[in-house]
Amino acid sequence: MVLQRVLLSIRSVSKVYRMGEVDVHALRNASLDIYDGEFLIIIGPSGSGKSTLLNQIGGMDRPTSGTISFMDRELSKSSDYELTLYRRREVGFIFQFYNLIPTLTALENVQVATEIVENPMTAMEALQRVGLAGRADHFPSQLSGGEQQRISVARALASNPRLLLCDEPTGALDVETSRQVLGMLSKLNRELQKTVVLITHNNAIAGLGDRVARIRDGTIHHIRTNDPPKSVEEIHW
Amino acid sequence: MSRLFLRKLLRDMKTRKGSLLALLAIVTIGVGVYIGFAAVYRDLDGSRERYYRDYRLADFTVYLKRAPAWSVQETAMLANVREARGRVQQSVLIEVPHQLKPISGTAISMPLRREPVLNDIFLRSGMWFSDNDKREVIIDDAFAKAHRLQPGSRIKVLLLDKQHDLLVVGTAMSPEFVYLIPPGGGFTPDAENYGVLYLPEKFLQESSDLDGAYNQIIGSVHDDSPPILNFTLRVIENRLEAYGVTQSLAARDQASVRFLEDELVGVKISSRISPTIFLLVAALVMNVLIGRMVAQQRTVIGTLKALGYSTSMVTRHYLNYGLFIGIVGGVTGTLFGFWMQNVFVQMYRQFFALPEINAHFYFDILATGFLISIGFALVGTLKGVRYAVSLEPAEAMRPPPPEKGGKVLPERITVFWRILSFRQRMVLRAVFRNPFRSGVNVTASLISTALIVMTLCNTDALDSLMSFEFEKTAHQDMTISLRDPVGIRVQTDFQQLPGVSETEPQLLVVCDLSNGPFEKRAGVMGLVRNNRLYTPIDEQNRRIAVPESGLLLTKKLAELLHVSRGDTIRLRPLIARREIVYSPVVGIVDSYLGLSAYADIRYLSRLLGEEWAANTMLFTSFRKTYDPAFLRELTMRPVVVGINERLQALHKIDEVFGQSMGIMIFVMVLFAGMIAFGSVLNSALVSLSEREREVGTLRVLGYTPAQISGIFSGESFLLNGMGIFFGVFAGMGLVHLLSMAYSTELYRFPVVIYFSRLLESAFLMCLFISLAQWIVFRMVRKLNWLDALKVKE
Ligand SMILES: Nc1ncnc2c1ncn2[C@@H]1O[C@H](COP(=O)(O)OP(=O)(O)OP(=O)(O)O)[C@@H](O)[C@H]1O
Ligand SMILES: [Mg+2]
Repeated sequence: MVLQRVLLSIRSVSKVYRMGEVDVHALRNASLDIYDGEFLIIIGPSGSGKSTLLNQIGGMDRPTSGTISFMDRELSKSSDYELTLYRRREVGFIFQFYNLIPTLTALENVQVATEIVENPMTAMEALQRVGLAGRADHFPSQLSGGEQQRISVARALASNPRLLLCDEPTGALDVETSRQVLGMLSKLNRELQKTVVLITHNNAIAGLGDRVARIRDGTIHHIRTNDPPKSVEEIHW
Repeated sequence: MSRLFLRKLLRDMKTRKGSLLALLAIVTIGVGVYIGFAAVYRDLDGSRERYYRDYRLADFTVYLKRAPAWSVQETAMLANVREARGRVQQSVLIEVPHQLKPISGTAISMPLRREPVLNDIFLRSGMWFSDNDKREVIIDDAFAKAHRLQPGSRIKVLLLDKQHDLLVVGTAMSPEFVYLIPPGGGFTPDAENYGVLYLPEKFLQESSDLDGAYNQIIGSVHDDSPPILNFTLRVIENRLEAYGVTQSLAARDQASVRFLEDELVGVKISSRISPTIFLLVAALVMNVLIGRMVAQQRTVIGTLKALGYSTSMVTRHYLNYGLFIGIVGGVTGTLFGFWMQNVFVQMYRQFFALPEINAHFYFDILATGFLISIGFALVGTLKGVRYAVSLEPAEAMRPPPPEKGGKVLPERITVFWRILSFRQRMVLRAVFRNPFRSGVNVTASLISTALIVMTLCNTDALDSLMSFEFEKTAHQDMTISLRDPVGIRVQTDFQQLPGVSETEPQLLVVCDLSNGPFEKRAGVMGLVRNNRLYTPIDEQNRRIAVPESGLLLTKKLAELLHVSRGDTIRLRPLIARREIVYSPVVGIVDSYLGLSAYADIRYLSRLLGEEWAANTMLFTSFRKTYDPAFLRELTMRPVVVGINERLQALHKIDEVFGQSMGIMIFVMVLFAGMIAFGSVLNSALVSLSEREREVGTLRVLGYTPAQISGIFSGESFLLNGMGIFFGVFAGMGLVHLLSMAYSTELYRFPVVIYFSRLLESAFLMCLFISLAQWIVFRMVRKLNWLDALKVKE
């Protein structure tokens, strides 16, 4: 597999949180390139800085030092509003706890994303892609965890972003449901050429990605390429 | 706002309908009170203005002994005077069919042919006079209604010493008498016992011994600003000196005009203050509610930001919560306000004789009401919106920082803390860890307690003022006013009337009192030694003893004149010879009545140049009812110009004010209760929603719903107890403020605070709070606590 284009490049990024008297170094000089169309898995123990890194990539936060560039745009120097537009157009988030809005139906939750972008797919189409068109009118509380996560995938997908950022998307799901969700993500990666960055601390999942970056103490200390990556059916845990 | 987010908003609101309804009730009252008061002000003011303009209310009235017709022309030529008209006004006694007692009244001359004169009258029924010698009369419309008289009825009128049998040709009302208080008859109109008659000018002149002359000149001016008008009046008085000017009065100083104006000012002030109080509380309560809603939506905010919603879009969404409540409150408040407006208009129709008081629709008031509602509601979202704005997207996705775990204040006092049960500790922690909410709670119950205390004490003050005037001071059954002071021998004459038990003469003289540059007009009351039927008392309920010579002044009057005991003041009586005399001030008394002076009746007589005179006679009768023979005798005495019954006046006041006062009290207490109820319910529900998990845990451990709601009510009673405690003091402060606001030169509004009223207020508050607590208890019982445990925040 030939990977040409760098979509996102992270250079010596550090993130320091001041907690009263102590500095917490969530990221230390982390550097990483993310290629267009790849399925990248970031793996590391709890507290190693995975979510922090993903937040920098997703434009949710700015690093304390270092640079992050999306294509030729430097995110680390963008204004709040530019970051908002970046998140709106280029990024789809999938969270561990789905983060659906409890007072909106499945369809409406997807519409929350389609409302603010210019060329979205229809919310219904997104639901069809995740196989939940039939549950469009259900509220999150009427759906299982797996179904909720699929709605959240539909929501991330619906705005046609280039980048899907998943923070432990299967963290709260059982094996079978996890397989479904992961299968869906790798299908989106293959069929729609979405760049997928997936965070996990589950080694078993690592095999799915084109590449696996290991993070520890806020630093990327190892990157491995799976050649070829495994399919969802092949992984076990 | 997109339909999507509108739906979210509506569903969010639905999950909090209890709190929301409580809040909306407060907003509704606030907006309603504004719209109601503002609209009724406009209705009343408009109606007054049209009436005064169309029927040409005179700017001034000059009272004289006898002014020839050409003196009216002379007055009209004076600078600033635009127009003048001569009138005859005469006290009369009226006998109506089927009514034993003669009724006091006043007759006023009108031109024979109808023309748009000053102080024109509005003909309600019937028609104008047909001819001078037809013995026709137009009577006051309210008087006609009270006695079921109509055009075609006949009445007998005693004018000076002659009785006339007159045909009622019409009924009318005058801009001069919108609020017609019988002279010496208390505070309320009394159409049954006082009537105004309009008679053709020539007829009234002749029967008043005023052929070709007048005893009143009314007029209009170019500039009616107080200093200019007063100056003009001074000039007129000087010019007409020779015709026996007794008094001149600017329109604004006339009782009716003044009363209507005072009422309107009151309505206007109410339209500003009351809504402000309600909406302020609403905004505070709303901050608690919306603040909680937004805090609960922490991850929703994070998710929206992650999805690319800008901070301003998120902000707008939560501002829309305020907008929503503002709009809904605006709608319900408007409806409520229109209802209130109608109720008020209905009430004012009974109080004021205006041709028409109609509830109109005012778009600008409606719009203002809406804007105010929305404005306050937006202020009510400040706390929530600020939170939403300040929340960084990455931050929002993390669980909220744990509650500030530090020790709360009472926890530091270890001795105290150790003796508390864990539930009491929970109560104290909850109170101290949510200072804003606790503060709002205390404030709201403080305000409502203060309002209740004020309302209840206010009625006591009015009662005490009434009893002061009608029970403690006056003891007679009836008061007879005489046209002019007469020799004291008349007492013997009255004493012999049938059914009379006791009589007591009085001499009431209105005087211009002055001390150097300070001048004030006041009534000087001449009392007999050993006065029994009229016994003025001071504020400490002590009888005021009148010295043999010299004057007693009320404190207010002494202050205005800058005199103290021992000073000598100048008096110019407005009756009899009207010569300036001097008298020492021998004492100053504290009294609710403002501008009064007391003297011995013989001393006062001598000041007037008489030996011993009286112009008022007080009676008690054996039977406490009218002896027909007594009344017949009275009517035969031409000197009698007024007959007043003390108890009747008191009953009238009760009748007129009693009912509307009762309603007002009920409404005020209800409104105040709504504040307490709304705020208590809201904060309890918010605290319940925050602690659902805690409730669930306690339920699992086997606590009953009653025990758990005990924690919430403990919190509530602690906070509201504080609110009530301070509210009682704030209420007492308000009572003092109100007394200052209501006090006029004429009387001081007393401060009356009974301890029982304070207890009653506290009890009412507890009732409202308990009601809210009961709802909370039901919610705790119904709470699906298993779900509460499963829920992830
Ligand atoms: N807002 C913050 N303030 C203070 N410290 C923070 C903040 N966010 C993250 N941290 C700290 O930074 C470090 C990395 O946090 P991060 O959430 O990125 O870890 P993670 O790899 O995602 O862990 P997990 O697998 O548990 O989600 C942790 O020590 C965390 O406590
Ligand atoms: Mg994490």
